[in-house]
Amino acid sequence: MKLLRRFRSIPVSYRVPVLVALLMVVISAAISERVLSRLSRTQESFLNGLAETYLDGLSSAVVPAVLRADVWEVFDALDRSSASYKSLAPIETVVTGSDGKVLAASDPNRIASYSELPADYRNRYGPGVVTIDKASLTGFAHRDLVYQGQPIGTIHAIFDVSHLFAERRAILVTLLITNGVLAALFALGGFVLVRQMIGPMRVLEDRMRAAAHGAAEPIPPREIPAGDSEVAGLFRGYNALVHAERERANFAMQLAEEEKLSSLGRLASGMAHEINNPLGGLFNALDTLKTHGETPGVRDTSISLIERGLAGIRDVVEAALATYRPERSQRPMSAADLDDISLLLKPELRRKRQRLDWSVAWNGARELPIRGGPVRQAILNLLLNASAVTPEDGTVSLTAMSADDRLHIEIGDQGCGMPPDIAGILIDQDPGPAVRAGRGLGLWMVRRVVDDLGGRASIAARRGGGTAVTLTIPFDTEDVKAHAA
Amino acid sequence: MRNLGNPHRATDGVPITRRDLIAAAVSGAVFAPFALGAEEESFKFGLTPVFLSNDLELLGHLRSYLSARMGGRVELVTRRTYQEITALLVSGQIQSAWICGYPYVQFKADLDLVATPVWHGKPLYQSYLIASADRKVDDWTGLKGDVHAFSDPDSNSGFLVTRALLAENRQLPGSFFARSFFTYGHRNVIRAVASGLAQSGSVDGYVYDVMRETEPDLVKQTRIVRKSEWLGFPPIASPKSVANDRRVKALRQALISMDDDAEGRKVLALLRLDGFVATDPSLFDAIAAKVETVRQFG
Repeated sequence: MKLLRRFRSIPVSYRVPVLVALLMVVISAAISERVLSRLSRTQESFLNGLAETYLDGLSSAVVPAVLRADVWEVFDALDRSSASYKSLAPIETVVTGSDGKVLAASDPNRIASYSELPADYRNRYGPGVVTIDKASLTGFAHRDLVYQGQPIGTIHAIFDVSHLFAERRAILVTLLITNGVLAALFALGGFVLVRQMIGPMRVLEDRMRAAAHGAAEPIPPREIPAGDSEVAGLFRGYNALVHAERERANFAMQLAEEEKLSSLGRLASGMAHEINNPLGGLFNALDTLKTHGETPGVRDTSISLIERGLAGIRDVVEAALATYRPERSQRPMSAADLDDISLLLKPELRRKRQRLDWSVAWNGARELPIRGGPVRQAILNLLLNASAVTPEDGTVSLTAMSADDRLHIEIGDQGCGMPPDIAGILIDQDPGPAVRAGRGLGLWMVRRVVDDLGGRASIAARRGGGTAVTLTIPFDTEDVKAHAA
Repeated sequence: MRNLGNPHRATDGVPITRRDLIAAAVSGAVFAPFALGAEEESFKFGLTPVFLSNDLELLGHLRSYLSARMGGRVELVTRRTYQEITALLVSGQIQSAWICGYPYVQFKADLDLVATPVWHGKPLYQSYLIASADRKVDDWTGLKGDVHAFSDPDSNSGFLVTRALLAENRQLPGSFFARSFFTYGHRNVIRAVASGLAQSGSVDGYVYDVMRETEPDLVKQTRIVRKSEWLGFPPIASPKSVANDRRVKALRQALISMDDDAEGRKVLALLRLDGFVATDPSLFDAIAAKVETVRQFG
């Protein structure tokens, strides 16, 4: 298994040639085995035929001499036959008489005439015509000499069969070389073919890699191969995908812009309202000052009124600045941030005549080690959403509770519940599909804040109707360290 | 040439006996058609394995020489054993043959000597007892218990000499040698000893010495243990029945004058012989003595 895994990790352009070569090795092994076994059978039948011929010829030559026990004639026949049967390469031939004793051997110095035949000569024969001994590269054969139905002697012969094995070896070497060259050629061909085949994949891969690090670029038409319809189809498909993605991104950007403008508009109108409210009072106070400015009591009261009115306007402007100026976003979170949210939300709530349940259980610290800017924006977005889905005269709630190492914030509404695909933006592992559909961009921004800060969000239905969104934001450990220091 | 007055006849010193005449009459009666049509029939010349009968080139030259010199077709007849040729010769089925001294002595009464080869200047040769080259024996007694190869039971040098040697020493081949066999050829005796089939052999010294030149690798594997005394060289003989055939005289003339002819010299060169001479039958008395020795011992 480990080997298989390791093999799979090899690039396909090497894996295929290796597989082809391995396949060739297996095929050539099978072919070689067949060829050699066929050759071996052919050789054996050829050898058997030769041996039969040799023994036939020799039998007819020696039978009269064996009948007369004529040692010389038998030897002479053996001597002459050894020269006539060169293709068989007889090494030694022994003729025995009816008594089993040697009449003559082709080499009398090894086996003398009139001697007993060595016992192993009788026991070395197998069932076939020629018994082959692979160790000594020799073949054994024997033939009983029969005259008028009576056994009169036996011919025992040994042949040199080394040439058969040499031939087999030569053929094996030829097969190995041929198949080796073929396997190498096929592997090379496979390598080239696969390289060619995966060339377009590489183009695609490079494009995708580039897309991961930046904008996805379509494949230029000149790089699309004209002849290869499959690859061309693949490339065109990729280009269609890139175009669709670009359109979707443009659309999403547009939506985001619209969302931004709409929330900005709501905030701006809220702010205008908030500024407009004291403005009437301020003008009244100014009129009072113009008319009755000499009266010390009236003057002081009017100035105080103007001061408070301006302070209110200043607070609203500061809250807006704190929320939308990025350089302020790195500040640690403080209770004032929540107050700002309340302030920013007030005009919208008032417009819809909604009530805000405000419950902050701060742990007493002035600041929490959490980046304030993003959290305020997230809470503001959630509260604006809550307000939007809550009917008029309804109640929107915020509960903030700081634990030892985290901050829990729960925003409640009295809406009719959050659709699952919108809820997915907050709670799914991959918020992509809903975002790509161009919906819930406010929530997407919340999600990004939560992810950035390493927190998580959950959504639950509230008892008595409505939805509660809970954010859990862990304290920034670096900030904790900084504070400890 | 066809008359009975054969000039060589007298020099042979063999008088025409009554027995000869009867034999001639009998063979003449039996072979009447042959005798009458002798002019037309080819002259049959028998060859024993006494010399290098395997040399086809030699046979070709010999036939061509004899045909040219004798003025008619000559047929060379070869047989495996001495006995077959001797039988053909004695029965008159062939007109002449190169036989061994032993059958000549045995059938001396029925045969005339035509000519005897001359080797190293003399019509004599020896018999050798040979053994394998690497064998250490001092003399022939060291060959006791051997497997012994004889040439032919009718050969002087290849059988009779050794048999007589043993007889002189009160021994028989069957008891002196463990085993013995006949190879029917002097060359075969040398092959048998060289190959180890036999541990020793009885061989014609002339054949052995000639083969030392023609087949040195084979002869090198053997060594001479004993050389016999010089004995009459295997002669060319013809049956007394054809003593009047002119072609027998022509044959004798052709043989004796072989050295004068180019083709004849080729034959002599191939045979390693100096020539042929007409010899007296007494040349073979030593062989006859050996026959007697063997006969007496049993």
